[in-house]
Amino acid sequence: MNTSDEKIRFDAIVVGAGLAGAAAAMVMARAGLNVALIERGQKAGGKNYFGGAIYTHAIGEVLPDYMDRKPPFERPVTEAGFWMLSKDGGLTKMTVQGGKLGAEPADAYMASRAIFDVWWAEQAQKEGALLIPKTTVLDFIRDSAGQVIGVKTDRAQGDVYAPVVIVCEGVNNLLTQKLGLIDHDLEPAHIALAFKQVIALPMDTINARFGLPDEKHGLAASVLGDVSLGLPGMGFVYTNNTSVSVGLGMMLDAVVEYRLKPYEVLQRYLRHPAIAPLIKGGQLMEYGAHLIPEGGYRDMPKLFTGGAMVAGDAASMVNALHWEGTNMAIVAGKLAAETAIEAHKRGDFSAQTLSQYEARLKDRFILKDMKQYRNFSRFLETHPEFMDAYPSFINDALGQFFSAYGMPKKTLFKNILGSLTSRRQLFKAVGDMLSMGRAVMGW
Amino acid sequence: MKKGDAFSVKELPQDLKESLPAVYVDDLLVSLKYFIDEAQSHLKIKDHAVCARCRYKPCLDFCPVGVYTLAHDGKIQVAYQACVECGSCRVGCPYENIEWTLPRGGFGVAYKFG
Repeated sequence: MNTSDEKIRFDAIVVGAGLAGAAAAMVMARAGLNVALIERGQKAGGKNYFGGAIYTHAIGEVLPDYMDRKPPFERPVTEAGFWMLSKDGGLTKMTVQGGKLGAEPADAYMASRAIFDVWWAEQAQKEGALLIPKTTVLDFIRDSAGQVIGVKTDRAQGDVYAPVVIVCEGVNNLLTQKLGLIDHDLEPAHIALAFKQVIALPMDTINARFGLPDEKHGLAASVLGDVSLGLPGMGFVYTNNTSVSVGLGMMLDAVVEYRLKPYEVLQRYLRHPAIAPLIKGGQLMEYGAHLIPEGGYRDMPKLFTGGAMVAGDAASMVNALHWEGTNMAIVAGKLAAETAIEAHKRGDFSAQTLSQYEARLKDRFILKDMKQYRNFSRFLETHPEFMDAYPSFINDALGQFFSAYGMPKKTLFKNILGSLTSRRQLFKAVGDMLSMGRAVMGW
Repeated sequence: MKKGDAFSVKELPQDLKESLPAVYVDDLLVSLKYFIDEAQSHLKIKDHAVCARCRYKPCLDFCPVGVYTLAHDGKIQVAYQACVECGSCRVGCPYENIEWTLPRGGFGVAYKFG
């Protein structure tokens, strides 16, 4: 990279130009720091893959005038909720639309990460950050006391120096392990393997099939029930402008232990009688897969060390129940950046100064929510009925409730109750609800 | 999930098993864009003897892009060119027998949509 003997120096290095990384670079560059944003892909976001939707509260926190900068959003999320598929082809929709979801700008927008992240990194470049793509960071450079003072990349003469490095490497936390912030790989039981297809359809077809008035309306749904073969997992449907993203996430240990081929599970889901008509005639634009760190608070690494901090998926900042992760990544990137700015003011990049990063996360929803939900990921491991038995029961129950069988209603309600108890003993069902409440409330 | 020799597999109920359609993964891979590193693989089997001893070889199934296949001689072969760098095999191999590194800068999958 350098042709002279001069070392390449920056005020700060960010590893990974995803949501967390570009946010961190943007905030530091705006404060006048000389920032290198190193990305291993051809472009920012080229390795990223998600459901998914981007939350504007987080974007706006870093970039208040984001709407004037024409972000490449797809449709706004104007309808959100749960769909439940039954084995006999039924579909129950439990979604909310209008109200707060009709606000403009919307709370969340569908997006394609490979497109959105390019724009997001461009905003960091506009603040003065230097994006260095096609460069993989392999390790750290440390001083004699062990403090991080730079990174080694796979470029010829690719050592880059800075007194502070923000690691936003994503779910495969190789560098975070090299920093000694976590001493093990994540467990397959705490990681979801998500895979999806992006399927192109004409805009009007999407509007008609999903009951959306126009392209200013969009649906984001989590799909439960006959999706993940009775194993812990969840499907999703997102409507973009002229495509839909349909896929599912399953816990990796189940995929491995049952020796499932993910693309077969996905194809089975796409052939469900309630899903197939929605994507009929559509053209496959892209298939892909990505891991999601769903272990929560207990899987989070230590977040800082002398000269370095970690943000985003690398730090397991995901709240699976609420589909949150992108927003935490952005805000955590910003908080790490503010900590780095403060460290520059003090001229001190020790672990003690960088511990401010954790204090800032504790003040915000990030560590508050992560802590409250600390038991939730383990909860679904031990309660797969929330993915399977209950959604299929709700389908059954509503199906019976709204059908006139010419039977007395007493018999009807008895049948509905029977349809629950055939799946789960009643006292267990009551217990499930209580433990679900405990897991969500963090009691 | 137990690792090493303690790893064992589970079976789906027969009706669910039969409900899984056969899919030719290459039909999906054509939708992906790659910059292939012809010079070196970023995925390596650490020790083929360990794979030979692995009873269930779940990598043949769980890899979402079918990187791992069985050669005629019974060895696991690695089509790293198809890898989407998800990391499933890195933590999913029961024997942790896959040396998983990132492709060199610029190489590997390049999502168009993501």
